[in-house]
Amino acid sequence: MGDYNVFHNMPWSGSYAIYFFVIGISAAMFFFSALSWYRTEFQVIRKPAFYISFVLLAGGGLLLIDDLTQPLRFLNIMNPAYLNFASPLAWGGLNLISFGLVSVAYFMMMRKNDEETSRKLAVLGALLALGLPIYTGFDLTVHQNRPVWNTPLMPVLFVALSLLSGAAVATFIAKGEKLLKMLRTFMLWSAGAVAAMLVSLLGTTAYGGSTSELTFMFMTSGTLGAIFLGLGILVGTVAPIAVLLTAYGRQQSGMMTAAGLLLVGGMALRYSILIGGQIVQSYF
Amino acid sequence: MSELRISPIETRGVPGKKRYAMVIDLRRCIGCDACMTACKAEYDVPLGVFRTWVPYKVVGKYPTVRKMFLPRLCNHCDDPPCVRACPVGATFKVDDGGFILQHYERCIGCKACMASCPYNARFMLPKHRTYTDITRVVDKCTFCHHRVIQGLVPACVQTCVGRSRIFGDLNDPASEVSYLVSTQSTQVLRPEEGTKPHVFYIGADRNHTEIGRKIYDPQDVMESERAAFNKNS
Repeated sequence: MGDYNVFHNMPWSGSYAIYFFVIGISAAMFFFSALSWYRTEFQVIRKPAFYISFVLLAGGGLLLIDDLTQPLRFLNIMNPAYLNFASPLAWGGLNLISFGLVSVAYFMMMRKNDEETSRKLAVLGALLALGLPIYTGFDLTVHQNRPVWNTPLMPVLFVALSLLSGAAVATFIAKGEKLLKMLRTFMLWSAGAVAAMLVSLLGTTAYGGSTSELTFMFMTSGTLGAIFLGLGILVGTVAPIAVLLTAYGRQQSGMMTAAGLLLVGGMALRYSILIGGQIVQSYF
Repeated sequence: MSELRISPIETRGVPGKKRYAMVIDLRRCIGCDACMTACKAEYDVPLGVFRTWVPYKVVGKYPTVRKMFLPRLCNHCDDPPCVRACPVGATFKVDDGGFILQHYERCIGCKACMASCPYNARFMLPKHRTYTDITRVVDKCTFCHHRVIQGLVPACVQTCVGRSRIFGDLNDPASEVSYLVSTQSTQVLRPEEGTKPHVFYIGADRNHTEIGRKIYDPQDVMESERAAFNKNS
């Protein structure tokens, strides 16, 4: 009673979580489009997956730029005299731009039916797409003062979340038993990997010292509990795994149910991880 | 301390270079907030944000209670995470002096530096300001770089009525800050982050300098005040 402190805002708001979600799906959809050159079952979604990827990339880019307080200065990211390569954001900016350029080139080559160049661009684009969730993970990991964020799990967790959300979206446009079977495998394995990483994350957070312990409390029994534990883990990870393991989960309708839950979970997890790392320090 | 240097950016103990630091003697702080006022006046710091602020905690048991003040500001870390985090080099460290400053015209407003600062020392300037046209970029305490290079001390140090704030070159063995840091028991905030902060406290209470469990169950009145406070930001 009677204590006084200045109130601090969380620097990164929930809109970053939407960006992480959107860009993760975009990366995975490009990956599936690229995969279609090497796996016949993916051929049917080659173009739609690419279009979804491109639209989400454009939307995510605009969202990111809009979130800057000086939106037009996003061009500074492309100024070699300014770039600070110690910052993952600088690498992320370059990754995003090069992925956009490769996506445009890939689209042009597909339209020209130049199969050989399309294949090469697909591989290059898939590698750059992989860089997107990795860099978003590093964006968080490098902040040594933030519990939950400052763990080597983040880039890997974001790759798994990207694959999971992308496979979930692809389920809605997929045709053919072989492809659905493949997407089910993708969803199961990536959701399993996310679940394993979350157990590890919860463990290290609960035993990570006073700030981490407080963050753990906020994320489980505190203000974020319903989103993180409820939506993120139970509804969005455990329930879809359970659905996918049943006979119903092998049918397209069952897979779509699981996919919807995975998308809810993917968003909830990204949001709670983003906000969870910032709650405690806002009181310091 | 120089044997603890692990990063080439660190300048404490480097011969021929200045390394400015502040010592805050909490036994002398009376919580008059003159430092906050001087800082606000010096920089036209807008409402709702602070380059320096003085939180307090009421400690003890009635009737022997007292207010513990803990003046806060940018710690001008020797290994600053904000400099690493900025993607466009808008935040930089002045090699000779150790000031952490901003290139305002470069700042894109991504708030990565704010996320990386363990001390909440950085803030976003609002859209409108009364006298200054630097807006919508990140700002922070500069250790009054413009005054120090002219041989003056920072505004908060000059105005401190209790002489609680002492400023000087830690690399100069004859300076008052060197004397205080080497002879008194001093603490820094959040040393576990490895940032090597250069604001040293004499007489700080760990109950005050660490994040307490009480925040998990904040009083309703605090939350309503926070909501009211954030309305303008």
